[in-house]
Amino acid sequence: MMNRLLRSSAFTVAFSYVAFGMVALVFFAAPLWYMWQVTIQEERIEYLRADTQRMSEVFRRQGAPGLATFIDARVGMQIAGERILLLTDSTLHRLAGNLAEWPVVVPLEPGTYTLPINLSSKPTRAMFVHTVLPGGYNLLVGRDLALFAPLTTRFWYGLTGAVVVLSIAGVLGGFMIRRAVLLRVDGIRQTVQAIVHGDWSHRLPTKSSNDELDTLARTFNGMLDQIEQLLHGVRDVSNAIAHDLRTPLAELRSRLEELALTRPGPEEAFAEIDAAVVDVDRVIRIFNALLRLAEIDTGMRRSGFVAVNAADIAKQAVDFYLPAAELKGIALSYRGSGPAAISGDPVLLAQAIGNLIDNALKYTSDGGAISVEVQNLPDSRVRITVADNGPGIPDEEKPKVPNRFYRGDASRGTPGVGLGLTLVASVAKVHGGALELTDNHPGLRAHMVIDTGAGWNGAARAEPAEASTPPQRSASLGTESVQPG
Amino acid sequence: MKVLLVEDNERVTRFVVKGLQEAGHVADHADNGRDGMFLAASEPYDVIIMDRMLPGHIDGLAIIETLRKSGNRTPILILSALSDVDERIRGLKSGGDDYLTKPFAFGELLARLDALGRRAQGSGTQTSLRVGDLHIDLLSRKATRGARAIALQPQEFKLLEYLMRHAGQVVTRTMLLENVWDYHFDPQTNVVDVHISKLRQKIESDSERPMLRTVRNAGYMLTDDE
Repeated sequence: MMNRLLRSSAFTVAFSYVAFGMVALVFFAAPLWYMWQVTIQEERIEYLRADTQRMSEVFRRQGAPGLATFIDARVGMQIAGERILLLTDSTLHRLAGNLAEWPVVVPLEPGTYTLPINLSSKPTRAMFVHTVLPGGYNLLVGRDLALFAPLTTRFWYGLTGAVVVLSIAGVLGGFMIRRAVLLRVDGIRQTVQAIVHGDWSHRLPTKSSNDELDTLARTFNGMLDQIEQLLHGVRDVSNAIAHDLRTPLAELRSRLEELALTRPGPEEAFAEIDAAVVDVDRVIRIFNALLRLAEIDTGMRRSGFVAVNAADIAKQAVDFYLPAAELKGIALSYRGSGPAAISGDPVLLAQAIGNLIDNALKYTSDGGAISVEVQNLPDSRVRITVADNGPGIPDEEKPKVPNRFYRGDASRGTPGVGLGLTLVASVAKVHGGALELTDNHPGLRAHMVIDTGAGWNGAARAEPAEASTPPQRSASLGTESVQPG
Repeated sequence: MKVLLVEDNERVTRFVVKGLQEAGHVADHADNGRDGMFLAASEPYDVIIMDRMLPGHIDGLAIIETLRKSGNRTPILILSALSDVDERIRGLKSGGDDYLTKPFAFGELLARLDALGRRAQGSGTQTSLRVGDLHIDLLSRKATRGARAIALQPQEFKLLEYLMRHAGQVVTRTMLLENVWDYHFDPQTNVVDVHISKLRQKIESDSERPMLRTVRNAGYMLTDDE
């Protein structure tokens, strides 16, 4: 119990605060104590001096005998020990007062002294004002400091009391804070435990207070949402992989098994083997697409960014797909507003734009039109748009389309593995942008909005030749095997 | 052609060696890096096929680098299961001449080997190419068949130039994508086929002999042969 208490962070915090409070109290009390002491000291001296003054006046008017009488009268009236009075002649012979003789500790020079002394054979400290009157008479006016001791004691009592009250309040406060914090921490712990056990519906309790714990809980909840979404994504992907890879694999397996069982003639056997190779190729294609996505999603390709002109890439893609579009009776056109300089990976951008055009070609029917557009947006971004006038995608399906293996109802029965737009979305993301799908009334407009990146301007200015020629990276990839020979 | 295959997987080795022999080539093979290195250094080969991950954690790229440092200029085709674009760039930088990812179609491998082997024997810079009565001028970018001038788009000219440089060899769709368009992905529609048939219409009029052939399961070949 004690151990747990000490380990509790709330208790540690409360304890530290109490300790800190005490140190602060001492630092606060020390100058106070000093000021008080100085003030009282001066006050006491002032009293003794005033007394001395009055007695000097008596001496001036009535001489030594008069003062002696005055002193004796006062000693008689006084409460014992409050004032120390002594009048002696020049040989320190006692004339009047409540001391039997001149105390040896008091120097013979006039002045103010605070000295240890024995009074009625009791050791104490006393304060004296020693005055030498005309004629060599010595007047000693003093006061026993022990009389003030209760005051000092009271001060220390007060200070101790404050420390005790502070400690108790601190410990109690610590307990209360600990209780409150523990309650909330316990809530968090229970929720997390439930999630660890697989129940993802739980979220950390939050209040409207927006305090630190609340902010933390909200952040955690955000993270949990993200993780849950990823989990769903993984589940979707495994389902989709199961479907898209298992189907051709199952076909392949039955084909091979049938071959082994029936042992048909060579003609039929070869046809089956050819078909089996096609099945394998389909599996490989899905596999490659998944690997490519993983490669992009890890963001490692960012290291290969160079200054490229997105307009050139789009134009080349349009040229590339033009004959295929013409064959289908589709008008494929490029519209652009001059060069669009971005920092990016030309290989990935070409593939992404290619996928968008490929997609549009697949879903646009005879006589349709596809336009590819590259625009420089005012906020230093570039928008690559591929618009078609095909059937489009229903609004409720639009957010799902970039998901892995998602295939809309309209696309069932068409070739493809359902990774095309996923790749486009990933490429856009790795370029600091996003894939947006909107309606073209009728048809689909796919926008890839991409950050131009900071690297371009500098690179373009430093090496103007590089901006106009195809980027080095892709050149080194492509020309290796074309060198004239 | 005399080909050296450095590959540790028995089945792949058997498949490639058999295929090469059927295509009329002579194939040696080594199943580890040390033997591969020894053979490559001691025998003259037209092309070397190098696997990347060899027994004993030896990377084929290290062997290629050593060969290149010792002055060996034999064309090398890297065969690898590592498909990342970055890995491909590393492979070409280390001194490889072409990069093919596993799994691969044999037709693709053969076509690339032919291209590599032929390249090594090639002459210097040319200003014009001729295959039968088909002629292109690389400086003026003009194409003619016999006396007939052929009007070509820049992209079509590039495609024809590539086919003519590899006349008599099979070129695959992937080779065309990589070398004519600089594309390193697989467009799902048959775009390359459409480009080829468009080019075919331009270079082969009804009265002329067909030159641009489709090779089943492999790719295309431009040839003057009957």
